[in-house]
Amino acid sequence: MNNYTLNPLATNNASVDTPPHHQKTVIKLTDIEKVYQTKTIETVALHNINIAIRKGEFVSIMGPSGCGKSTLLNIMGLLDEPSSGTIEIDGASVKSYSDKVLARLRNEKIGFVFQSYHLINDLSVVDNVELPLLYRQLSGSDRRKRALAALEKVGLSARTKHFPNQLSGGQRQRVAIARALAGQPEIILADEPTGNLDSVMGNEIMDILLRLNEEEQTTIVMVTHDELMAKKTERLIRLFDGSQVS
Amino acid sequence: MIRHLFTLIWNRKKSNFLMITEIFFSFIVLFGVLSLAFFYLDNYRKPLGFEYDRVWVMNMRWNQEKPEEVRNIQYRLKQQLKSNPEVAQVALAASNIPYTMNTSNTGFNYNNRFTMADWFTVDKDFAEVMQVDVAAGRWFTTEDNAAGTKAIIINQALRNEIFPDENPVGKVIREKDNPDRKIVGVVEIFRQKGEYSSDKPGYFEYLNTDYASNGTAGGTLDNLMIRVKPGVTRAFEEKLMKQASQIAQGWTIEIKTMNEMRTSDNKITLIPLVIFSVVCGFLILNVALGLFGVLWYNINRRISEIGLRRAVGAASGQVYRQFIGEVLVLATFGIIIGIIIALQFPLLQVFGVQTGVYVAAILGSVLVIYLLAAGCAAYPSQQAASITPATALHEE
Repeated sequence: MNNYTLNPLATNNASVDTPPHHQKTVIKLTDIEKVYQTKTIETVALHNINIAIRKGEFVSIMGPSGCGKSTLLNIMGLLDEPSSGTIEIDGASVKSYSDKVLARLRNEKIGFVFQSYHLINDLSVVDNVELPLLYRQLSGSDRRKRALAALEKVGLSARTKHFPNQLSGGQRQRVAIARALAGQPEIILADEPTGNLDSVMGNEIMDILLRLNEEEQTTIVMVTHDELMAKKTERLIRLFDGSQVS
Repeated sequence: MIRHLFTLIWNRKKSNFLMITEIFFSFIVLFGVLSLAFFYLDNYRKPLGFEYDRVWVMNMRWNQEKPEEVRNIQYRLKQQLKSNPEVAQVALAASNIPYTMNTSNTGFNYNNRFTMADWFTVDKDFAEVMQVDVAAGRWFTTEDNAAGTKAIIINQALRNEIFPDENPVGKVIREKDNPDRKIVGVVEIFRQKGEYSSDKPGYFEYLNTDYASNGTAGGTLDNLMIRVKPGVTRAFEEKLMKQASQIAQGWTIEIKTMNEMRTSDNKITLIPLVIFSVVCGFLILNVALGLFGVLWYNINRRISEIGLRRAVGAASGQVYRQFIGEVLVLATFGIIIGIIIALQFPLLQVFGVQTGVYVAAILGSVLVIYLLAAGCAAYPSQQAASITPATALHEE
């Protein structure tokens, strides 16, 4: 876990930023622009973004508030459409994909971890973790098995019947990670996963993410404000005012 | 997914309690209204046991005349009316003729079997006027004039109650303080209260109204039933009235067609159904608005959950179906409680209504509540499905 170094080659030009030691590109963003437009104001959220994420990479995205980090993550996660530019997942452009196909891609390939956990308070821990599996053709017992296995990975086997409001912040975030893992995705997109946690709990969560990346070669892209956390990742992408600066 | 929806609604049962209660009450009221409606419909499809078309009713109210005098006048009036070429037949009947509010009933006892039965006092021409068919035995004839016992004709419903396994024709009913009554025939059905009423036990009791043969014996009857020939118009009423006022001088005479009486009586019968339907309509409207409002509120409260579901792989169509499904599950909880209550009616045979009517009402209520729930959920669910995941996830 101490082998990670920041990538000094990150650029802000139009060429695609590619890490040297991974093979397959799982996410590729080319010339991404995102403009929010109202009747009176046009806000450029992202400008000329070119990023390639390789399989097994752990990439962090940093930048000041409002610089477009979350927008970028949403675009990578197919939750939002860019105003222009191309998104490729596993080498295929998703531009022509229907809502249904995009949903399936998110379900099968991507796991999300959010700063505010986004757990459903009326569902137990295990039911929350099962959520992505509900959108797959799986039997109830298979879903339950996978959810329990994911909870075991994050060390929450003893809390399966609890409800989110009975858990600490760190435990909630571990449930959220288990939910992301339950679907066995190739990519985990984490939006400030330690943002709401104290340093101890934050480190616990970071350790889980690093372990997943190291042991299961899960590709992770993490938005963070925390330099210390970012230093633990392989590569850092910095954004400023919607543009890549490093 | 269905299990997931049930889990979700069950875990939110406290916040959904009022809605479930409201759905339950709507179900019960709807069940009541539909039971009544199906009861009427079921009865409507059954035969009446008589023909009301082309039957005119002359209601007579006399003054201080003695019964013998009244019988004499009625006899003469009947003969006079019958002599008109427009008239097919005339009969005398008591006040409880079809499509009136009047009822006469009494206990009917035979061999330790007992039931309450309607009784209709009529003369021998009643069957011809009302086109009543005799299923067994015979209708009243002049031979019943001389009999020592009163001749009666029972209906099939009374037969089923008192003579389930034997032929009632020829049986004599002996009761303390009452003259003996001999059953001379059985009619299939005779529903005095009209199309919407159920078939109840009843019997016709013969009264000899032939003043010429009977003299002072017998009683008086209130109505002259006139079957007119085809093509006779209301203009004939004036002629009848003229003849009646000449013979029954000073009497109050009122002539109505049985069609008119039927229309008026059926309106009165349907009043409770209309009132219940209006009440039920308002309740359902209330539930519809409630469902719509609760769902709208829920969707606004659950935007981040919608975003999460979209993020973990739900397509917009799945979000739409989920919200529709949730409302249907919510309705299911209310319906299940409602069905448990509603099932007590056929099980306990409340009101003596056929089981099929209750079953149809239960199924109808279930269908209406589900359609209502799905209808109310459609628009809010569509709104939920149209929220983009990134926007939804931004909501806290």
